[in-house]
Amino acid sequence: MNQRTSVLALTLVVLTLFAVPSSAQDEEALKKDLTAVIALQGMPCGQVVAAVEQAEMDYAVSCADGNLYRVYLNAAGRVVVETRK
Amino acid sequence: MARYTAVLLLLLTAGCASAPVPGAAQPPVVATQPATPTPAPKPAATPARPATPPAAPRVAAPGATATPPVVAPRTPATPPVAVPPAAAAPLDLDALEAQLRATKAIGVFTKISLKNQVDDLMKQFRDHYEGKTKRTMTELRRSYDLLIMKVLSLVQDDDHMLASAIVSSREAIWGLLSDQNKFANL
Repeated sequence: MNQRTSVLALTLVVLTLFAVPSSAQDEEALKKDLTAVIALQGMPCGQVVAAVEQAEMDYAVSCADGNLYRVYLNAAGRVVVETRK
Repeated sequence: MARYTAVLLLLLTAGCASAPVPGAAQPPVVATQPATPTPAPKPAATPARPATPPAAPRVAAPGATATPPVVAPRTPATPPVAVPPAAAAPLDLDALEAQLRATKAIGVFTKISLKNQVDDLMKQFRDHYEGKTKRTMTELRRSYDLLIMKVLSLVQDDDHMLASAIVSSREAIWGLLSDQNKFANL
């Protein structure tokens, strides 16, 4: 019983260790995606350093160069990058 | 029980070991890109080459002493022969679209953004053929090339196959866009 508990605990620890990098990877992928979108629209940014989801397909983005944007999908199906203050 | 724990740990860590591999395989792709802007007329088939030459040296190097002399003369002869069939086949718009939709090299926002830009370019062509704009075909070609380069720059590092497919189809797609009759049937 004691051993079972330790195995279970160990498994949980290992799973947690693997789960954290996975979500971190998702976040990095999102930042990369948003960086690409901003660049595609020809807006200055450098690299996205933070992105906060405001709604579905709607993000408040902070860039490495200090620029702040709102990136969202509008009703017409277009990706819009707006400067925010 | 301690053995099970060790085995479990090993299995879990082994799964992680595969992650860095794709990253390591990417760098060679970067070398392929310079070929993109260069091929203007028919070198569209070149993407097939980059894969072949690296493979040939690898075979030649580990091969036995007798084999290399035979392999070496064949290698330069093979690419020119392989080029024409590859040039004939590349354009499959549906497949290309499917590949673009499926690729994990670019995120959802980027895909939608690219689609927006493709739609904009299509509208520019439509306006051009309907005489609604003063844009010349040269200007449209420039816009087209820029868009292709944007897509390639986004894809080339993480999806070598798709990048090659785009490079191969580039001229063929332009052929469709720049011909009013073909464009009307798109």
